[in-house]
Amino acid sequence: MTVTQDKAIVPEQRRQVMQVRKRNGDLEPVDVNKIVKAVERWVGDLDEVDPLRVATKTISGLYDGATTAELDKLSIQTAAELIGEEPQYSRLAARLLAAYVDKEVRGQGVASFSQSIRYAYQNGLIGDETAAFVARNARKLDDAVDPDGDRRFEYFGLRTVADRYLLKHPETRLVVETPQYWLLRVACGLSTNPGEAIAFYRLMSSLAYLPSSPTLFNSGTRHTQMSSCFLVDSPRDELDSIYERYHQVAKLSKFSGGIGISWSRIRGRGALIRGTNGRSNGIVPFLKTLDAGVAAVNQGGRRKGAACVYLEPWHPDIEEFLELRDNTGEESRRTHNLNLANWIPDEFMRRVEADGDWSLIDPSDAPELPDLFGEAFDEAYRAAEKKAVRTVKARDLYGRMMRTLAQTGNGWMTFKDRSNALSNQTGGPGSTIHLSNLCTEILEVNSDDETAVCNLGSINLAGHLTADGTGIDWEKLRATVRTAVVFLDRVIDINYYPSQQAAASNPRWRPVGLGLMGLQDAFFAQRLPFDSAGARELSTRVQEEILLTALETSAGLAAEFGAHPAFAETRAAHGDLHPDLWGATPTQPERWAALRETVAAHGLRNSLLVAIAPTATIASIAGCYECIEPQVSNLFKRETMSGEFLQINTYLVRGLKARGRWTPEIRERIKRADGSVQDITELPADVRELFRTAWELPQRALIDLAAARAPYIDQSQSLNLFMSAPTIGKLSSMYLYAWKAGLKTTYYLRSRPATRIQQATVAVTPAVTPITPIAPISLVSDADAEALACSLENPESCEACQ
Amino acid sequence: MTLLDPGMDLTLRPMRYPAFFDRFKDAIKNTWTVEEVDLHTDLADLEKLSPAERHLISRLVAFFATGDTIVANNLVLNLYQHVNSPEGRLYLSRQLFEEAVHVQFYLNLLDTYVPDEAERYEAFAAIENIPSIRRKAEFCFKWIDSIFELRELRTREDRKAFLLNLICFAACIEGLFFYGAFAYVYFLRSRGVLQGLASGTNWVFRDESMHMAFAFDVVEVVRREEPDLFDDEMTRQVTEMLAEAVDCEVQFAEDLLGQGISGLSLGDMREYLQHVADRRLATLGIAPKYGSKNPFAFMELQDVQELSNFFERRVSAYQVGVTGTVGFDEDF
Repeated sequence: MTVTQDKAIVPEQRRQVMQVRKRNGDLEPVDVNKIVKAVERWVGDLDEVDPLRVATKTISGLYDGATTAELDKLSIQTAAELIGEEPQYSRLAARLLAAYVDKEVRGQGVASFSQSIRYAYQNGLIGDETAAFVARNARKLDDAVDPDGDRRFEYFGLRTVADRYLLKHPETRLVVETPQYWLLRVACGLSTNPGEAIAFYRLMSSLAYLPSSPTLFNSGTRHTQMSSCFLVDSPRDELDSIYERYHQVAKLSKFSGGIGISWSRIRGRGALIRGTNGRSNGIVPFLKTLDAGVAAVNQGGRRKGAACVYLEPWHPDIEEFLELRDNTGEESRRTHNLNLANWIPDEFMRRVEADGDWSLIDPSDAPELPDLFGEAFDEAYRAAEKKAVRTVKARDLYGRMMRTLAQTGNGWMTFKDRSNALSNQTGGPGSTIHLSNLCTEILEVNSDDETAVCNLGSINLAGHLTADGTGIDWEKLRATVRTAVVFLDRVIDINYYPSQQAAASNPRWRPVGLGLMGLQDAFFAQRLPFDSAGARELSTRVQEEILLTALETSAGLAAEFGAHPAFAETRAAHGDLHPDLWGATPTQPERWAALRETVAAHGLRNSLLVAIAPTATIASIAGCYECIEPQVSNLFKRETMSGEFLQINTYLVRGLKARGRWTPEIRERIKRADGSVQDITELPADVRELFRTAWELPQRALIDLAAARAPYIDQSQSLNLFMSAPTIGKLSSMYLYAWKAGLKTTYYLRSRPATRIQQATVAVTPAVTPITPIAPISLVSDADAEALACSLENPESCEACQ
Repeated sequence: MTLLDPGMDLTLRPMRYPAFFDRFKDAIKNTWTVEEVDLHTDLADLEKLSPAERHLISRLVAFFATGDTIVANNLVLNLYQHVNSPEGRLYLSRQLFEEAVHVQFYLNLLDTYVPDEAERYEAFAAIENIPSIRRKAEFCFKWIDSIFELRELRTREDRKAFLLNLICFAACIEGLFFYGAFAYVYFLRSRGVLQGLASGTNWVFRDESMHMAFAFDVVEVVRREEPDLFDDEMTRQVTEMLAEAVDCEVQFAEDLLGQGISGLSLGDMREYLQHVADRRLATLGIAPKYGSKNPFAFMELQDVQELSNFFERRVSAYQVGVTGTVGFDEDF
């Protein structure tokens, strides 16, 4: 059943005159039956789609004299536009698109995987080694291509792949590989024999695991920069070092990396510059330059460069730093492209809690502070307070941080002491984590001459459910982790390092970041509300399995190839594995005990193994919910460089269909309620509870889930928090709770616009509740912003209906 | 005292129309600046577009270049004078600021899109040079002039004339001319091109939605206070006015789409405009004139939450003007 019952009607006279231009230049009349047939070919098992509807709507959007290529594209677009009514159109649109891409590739004389590699190699797109590897193993590899592989994609995923991941001919801009060739190419770029290449390809093609975008972009090509994240230490407090960092950031950014960079060592505004006997202008003008530099770098036309600047809150320019993203004020002191994060020592939070004073200290007066954590920091900080530039109330500064979070989503709260104390890499003297990365999930030591690097990949938990969907296929999960770790480790050796500092760090520490996505899918499949005890247990159990298996695999690699060179400096070398640092009690003590013995005997190949990245793009390719996040809405759109796409909660649609309730009326109510089902009383309470959105969940639960799984994440997690109508009071309570829960990092604060654009496709409600002067039913009282958020009488300003 | 009684009421407490004040506060939370809109990728996109698409865009921005100024003029010359409520005037002052930001945005857009000075001057003189835009402008001027001479709304006829002006600007100009433009921008946006234009325009439309909602609030207040103004004649006049606006907008569409745009046919556009006009009538409690349906599925994309990938687009879903003090016991 499709929701809209009305037939698309093509006016008779338009249908008669409409003609299309064929590829040979001839005009021919548009034939609706021909389009229907072309669509029908791809319907297959999709019993809810209506090819005639796609065909008639396509023709209705066509102009006289359009080309057949335009007609093909329009039919794909038309099918995609029906996704919000019936999710199966997503599959149909994906198949039409796959056919279109396939035609484009074949049109250039490419009929097999090995031909595609040869063709791309001739055009300068493929690296010598991968080209030779594929040529040597052509038959085996060609046979391995899964002809039905593309059928697993949803439209949004495949569209993203087609627009941005497939290699394009440098001149014609036509794609030279199909989606399956692309994944096999990625596998070949990281493999030493065809057997492992095919196994890795099958895993990716099943969408149960995907490496991060830089690997998907660049594996097998001539520029094998496959790392996602770079963590650059603060420049030294001198001009040459600052300009060296600009250069380094530009190089790292060019090849698809996201940058975290600290700025805590640079002196603040008003500090003396001895060389010229002048006063410093502080960090803001330098960050303005960084901002422009980042925006100028276009990552191969695929996405803009992006960077996050970290600053410790004792820095004298901290208040100006917190205003860098404001949209008012002096434009020369605003950086619209930089992300901002606070790197917070516990001492600050303690003083906030105790309502104490907080000293702002110039780094030129206390240059040791960025390198210290824990008690050593506390002591040095207290000693340096004598030299304070200024003293503020800790709560005032904390309040400003909260305001920045609410108004810009930026100014992420990340905790320096937890991050260092609970890291495997800080086991030796002189090793300090100075910042996190662009997405707050990577925590690695770095220094002036070592830039930390991390390669990422994420397991799609939705691809590891048992056949009936109600349980986790643990054996499959372990197998995926083993394959993933081997190939993440492989990246370290094959990778092209855009800067000398990055090349210096990675071989020593060999960190990788294995993440997770589709947690929300697993909860939906098992009918676990996000804030239930069952959800917390499952998430923790999954995370333990992932870390344990990853460590086992890394220990195995160490037995084969040797421990990473800096192993002796790690906590694991002293027998402390990550859960031990937390004092956690794992559920599989025997396996952990056995692992301990292997580690004692061989060490580990990788100093760090697990980090939960946001997976914004790869989750959409895999068609699952992002990382560990709850759904944000049952009906929403994604905006990307490829355009906009409607997304719908297919689990909900399935539930509604089972009850015979997937009707245009219900759908419209969900849309009107901005993707919420809380007022759909036709659904039982437990179903509504299950399908709450991130805006409707208690954020305490998100923090609790994150804290429960944290002992099994040896780096960190990109934890977004959501609040429709944030206030300073709520935020300050929430972030204090997050700190006390022991989280190392948090990520964006998501909030919502105060009002929205008038909805154009829901029925009009005539203004039946006019405003009464000085009346008790006036829409909103001045004081209560939240009443506005929920006021059903005020749908135009409804931020929530949470 | 009613809202349209002549005068300069200055009393904010007790507040007679608190909903107007809430609109004012909400509008402030939506504050955005032109500098936040990044147009640099648009230039590359423009080169890739077909001549037909470029024609559409050049006409569209030429319309935008003057549209908001016309609305601002009517606000100052007509509306502010007669909406006799200090909180209502607060909102109108805020709206005036927003119109100015919109003008600045489109000024910046045109300067960026049209580097050639002579061409640029021509675009800004669209009202003189481009007949399809001229016709829309004349429609607007006619309604501005209709109450321009009125100093005070004394008679029933005065008030009806004022209401027609208000409804014209809300339902026809912001509600149809701009919403027509909205469909073109949304079409482009759904195809993933001209993100700078799309994101700035998105913010413009968020503001315009508020303007329209406020105007309809005013209409409803007047309807409650003076129901007899809303007679059959008014219904007939409003329906006729919307029909004329649809005709103006359809002839504009004929110009914009004249060279053929795949996915955006003239027939569908006409149907869309009629559908929007019906919606405006419905909001005013008037029977639909056309019975047309919305043919553009891509319009649905603007009705649902956005989930931006910050790597790719700047997230626009934040608020300014957050309040409260530090505390540790609040629920979250």
